[in-house]
Amino acid sequence: MRGATDQYLDLPRPPRSTGKRLVVTLSVLAVLAWAFLGTQFNPAELVAGLPKMADMAKQSWPPDWGRLFDPADYHLPEELTWQQTLLPGPLTQDQQDIRDAWWSNTWPQTILGGTIQTIQMAIAGTALAALFSFPLGFLAARNTSPHPSVYFGVKVVVNVLRSIPDFAVGLVLISAIGLGPFTGVSALAFATTTVLVKLFSEAIENIDQGVVEAIQATGANRFQVYSFAVVPQVMADFISFVIYRFEANIRAATVLGLIGAGGIGLLMNADFRTFQYQQAAVSVLVLIVLVLIVDFASARLRRMVQ
Amino acid sequence: MSRQPTSILLPRDADLIQVTGLHKTYPGGQEVLKGVDLAFRPGEFVAILGLSGAGKSTFLRCLNRLVEPTSGRILVPGMVVDRPADAVVDIVRVSGPELQRWRRRVGMVFQQFNLAKRLSVIDNVLSGSLGYAHPMLSSLRMFSDQEQARALRNLDRVGLLPLAYQRADAISGGQQQRVAIARALMQCPAMILGDEPVASLDPKLSLSILELMRNICREDNITVLVCLHVLELAKRYADRVIGFAGGQVVFDGPPDKLDDLSIRRIYQAKTEELRGFSV
Repeated sequence: MRGATDQYLDLPRPPRSTGKRLVVTLSVLAVLAWAFLGTQFNPAELVAGLPKMADMAKQSWPPDWGRLFDPADYHLPEELTWQQTLLPGPLTQDQQDIRDAWWSNTWPQTILGGTIQTIQMAIAGTALAALFSFPLGFLAARNTSPHPSVYFGVKVVVNVLRSIPDFAVGLVLISAIGLGPFTGVSALAFATTTVLVKLFSEAIENIDQGVVEAIQATGANRFQVYSFAVVPQVMADFISFVIYRFEANIRAATVLGLIGAGGIGLLMNADFRTFQYQQAAVSVLVLIVLVLIVDFASARLRRMVQ
Repeated sequence: MSRQPTSILLPRDADLIQVTGLHKTYPGGQEVLKGVDLAFRPGEFVAILGLSGAGKSTFLRCLNRLVEPTSGRILVPGMVVDRPADAVVDIVRVSGPELQRWRRRVGMVFQQFNLAKRLSVIDNVLSGSLGYAHPMLSSLRMFSDQEQARALRNLDRVGLLPLAYQRADAISGGQQQRVAIARALMQCPAMILGDEPVASLDPKLSLSILELMRNICREDNITVLVCLHVLELAKRYADRVIGFAGGQVVFDGPPDKLDDLSIRRIYQAKTEELRGFSV
């Protein structure tokens, strides 16, 4: 039986180029083989490693929840009551020194303190990046840059700098300014600025030029045109980019911690190196919860600004 | 600090603007204006007719230098750009602050209205006074009480006072074009350019917008130049019709002088082809 539309099948069709297909298929296969061989692909190793992995999982169970919930693990100074340490209030000079020492040395090494420090690093790094990238975005956008040479200059420099991974920036900064959360913040600010400038300048290049023309036609100067024609069109995008980068920076801040830039990553690294898997498991679980919460909050916030 | 703008009083019998030998060739070699000579009086309502690509839009944009003319002169009396009254200024040769002083005296309305959609109606109207406002404060969208009052008065004039604090993308197309006209009025303009201002509107709204523009032209003695597609609208509202074809002026006169021959020349077509298009 022929259906009503089968007549269309009789129409002439372009010939299939089997030769071309063969070449494409072979090339794809060759690239795949090249990649797997080059990385010493060996499923047997993965299988052989399974018992070790199971062993590690067993060793980390149950997680040592005391590290998160047991007050003893927060090593509050014995000289002070917990209220004196944790809450603001009048103290003698000696007491104050003890309190400050606890906050700056002991607190960041606890799970809660490390987690909060990671969040602080992400916020501070992202905020600095937002501050730098806002004006740089205008310079790097074709339609708002004061001169083509400025546009090319900023774009090339930012593109080159963006190719440096953030943990590489972290390693350089650690050797320059030492270990610690400030190094992490600087590395995040640097890497995030390069990304935000790219996203922001592209958003500016995609605006409706009609509004720019209309504001120019009123006799407005450059900054007035930015304020009335460009900013209203790109502000929601910019805020959305910043929130998204904050979300990514929570993860990046953890990785930076692994190489010594403070926060929960630093604790996790220390625990793994000393084979304290039950303690490391707590850091991992806390981190998973943190990332989930930030993902959710970031998605909600970004929907709100649009 | 903030300079309160006022309208300029121009003598009715002298030209506001004299265009001579205006040429425009776009990069790529496309010659859009091939020597245009025109002059406009204060308070004239001029309709510009022509096919797409005839050079109407380019001509308007040369007048406020959104498009750079290749050659030619655009002469205006010095007082329009705050020079001595007896000076004559060639707009083709001004730049920087002087160009901004000219642009602030020339309002422009567009086919797509070109409002900043995420800003409120009142902020869009206020943007019309940017050429007079404090450069820093106005960039932060801060305007004096007098400017705000003036914006509200201009909104009232176009009949949209109740919508002042709505977002510009929350109102209809016809209302958006009224906001654009209020924005132009904020400039205390000597001239308003309309680049197909009613081409995106239905016939009824088109009439009300042109009506509004003609009233403004009459009451404030503002020269109004509008590009139009529809011949009937030009005949109904304009004091003077200018026909563009192939980058040149092929008709210039009152609407009742528009005969079959000149219409054919403007639209580069035979009369039969145009029948049924309310010519």
